[in-house]
Amino acid sequence: MSHALTFEWADGRTARVDARPDETVVEAAERESVALPFGCLTGACATCTARLLDGHVAYRRPPRGLKPDQREAGYVLACVAEPRSDCRLRVGVDVHRELVDNPWK
Amino acid sequence: MSDADNPATDADAHAHHDHHGHEGPGYVTPQAAIEESEPEEVAYVIGLYVGTDVDAPDFLAVVDTDPDSSTYGQIIDRVEMPNRGDELHHFGWNACSSSCHVEGLERQHLIVPGQRSSRIHVVDTADRRDPELVKVIEPEEVFEHDLSAPHTVHCIPDGKILISMLGDANGELPGGFLELNDDFEVEGRWDTPGDIDMNYDYWYQPRHNVMISSEWAAPKTYYPGFDLEDVEAGKYGRQLHIWDWEAGTVEQTIDLGEEGMIPLEVRFLHSPVSTHGFVGAALSSNVFHFYEDGGEWHADKAIDVEPREHDDWDMPVPGLVTDLLVSMDDRYLFFSNWLHGDVRMYDVSDPANPRLADRIWAGGLFGPRNPIEGERDVYGGPQMLQLSLDGERLYWTTSLFSTWDNQFYPEEGEQGSVMLKADVNPRKGTMALDQEFLVDFGDLPDGPARAHEIRWPDGDCTSDVWL
Repeated sequence: MSHALTFEWADGRTARVDARPDETVVEAAERESVALPFGCLTGACATCTARLLDGHVAYRRPPRGLKPDQREAGYVLACVAEPRSDCRLRVGVDVHRELVDNPWK
Repeated sequence: MSDADNPATDADAHAHHDHHGHEGPGYVTPQAAIEESEPEEVAYVIGLYVGTDVDAPDFLAVVDTDPDSSTYGQIIDRVEMPNRGDELHHFGWNACSSSCHVEGLERQHLIVPGQRSSRIHVVDTADRRDPELVKVIEPEEVFEHDLSAPHTVHCIPDGKILISMLGDANGELPGGFLELNDDFEVEGRWDTPGDIDMNYDYWYQPRHNVMISSEWAAPKTYYPGFDLEDVEAGKYGRQLHIWDWEAGTVEQTIDLGEEGMIPLEVRFLHSPVSTHGFVGAALSSNVFHFYEDGGEWHADKAIDVEPREHDDWDMPVPGLVTDLLVSMDDRYLFFSNWLHGDVRMYDVSDPANPRLADRIWAGGLFGPRNPIEGERDVYGGPQMLQLSLDGERLYWTTSLFSTWDNQFYPEEGEQGSVMLKADVNPRKGTMALDQEFLVDFGDLPDGPARAHEIRWPDGDCTSDVWL
């Protein structure tokens, strides 16, 4: 069955798309022409990092670009995450920026 | 699609200079490149949107570098890639001076990989001011060879192309090398899996049957950003690998130690008889001189960049040597100090003892935010460098890698990169910032873009190899 995905950006913008069974979050967004950031599409680069606010996802491939503490904090990789329920996600490039800061500053 | 199948027409006759009787692309010697080349009229420059919220694919920009042109210092054309998400990064020519005597081959096609996507694009530059995307190798075809994250592109003899690949199909180690044939089809894997663990840049010196490759990290380590925990866990490289070029085997590995963390760009001197070169160790702020002596290869620290105190930083700001190049006459070494904000020029007449000749400050954490009065602010420091073949004009861009930029210079993603230029006096060993040249990658129709590597149509100081 399909699941409703609600995207929320830092600037207050929102969008809603329906993800078909076995579609990743990025695939569903691309099909409906909603632009999310992405890079490798294999779970390695974390360009697509989103924050899962509500709902459940299962991973098609291991999310190698995230460290265990980042996964525990609710970050997900939208390029390899398939929704298993309706989901609400905070998206946009600023979400990835939360993962890494300047280690010397 | 081989260039050999497309003999030169009048339209690209400009691509040929008087080569004193030889056929093929490039120049007979480095000195011939200096003497016979014309000043660069256009530059090809990578522009990218990965790591921003701009909903557009990365592109190859054509920048007008002809001071007599009405569009001097402007982007006059952009070749958009078909997909978003590539992170175009480094790129290279299908042919260079190493195929100088190969009849029918042209330096006409640019091989432009996506660092994140592992997609490989081929751009035809027969019309220098209006290049055209002619082929795309999709990532799946690369993953089939258990490789990902393409980086350095060099042409190799017989029209083939070799690309260093930093990871396996999952973005983990080991990396390796992908070979394309002269029709830009994937020929296969050049190396044996496991010959090396990490990979990054490489350069070969065919007369000595040697290739040297360097190390960054696994893609899954460096892609998301720079984390000191990964450094402490030993996930970043510090080795050089010395290959038997013809056999494709690693004959020696040099551990550069704590002072050689993250060795990036590898630059041999251009003279094909030379067994000297340099590599920048980005994280430990050093430049190493490597050389052959008695059948063994050695690498010694030759330049050390001291860290500097900054009011806004908890610890001294390390010098980050992110790119370096050697002038075509092998006399000068230039390198970028991305965090500090200077580009340096060293006399390397004695390669073991470089002498600082001059430097320019522009942007970065210590250079002027506004190095050219009346022009826009500069975010980020000097990064990818390119020098004219005659050694008189040095150009640079300011972006390193989108996720790393976002950590150290978050304004760069919002304001876009610039491309700057210095006029170089090789006789006196001096540089001066050109106040008339600033290419603004912040002012583009889709939004601000980052700018990365630079190449010239007639070959350049960071790709041409001589047999």
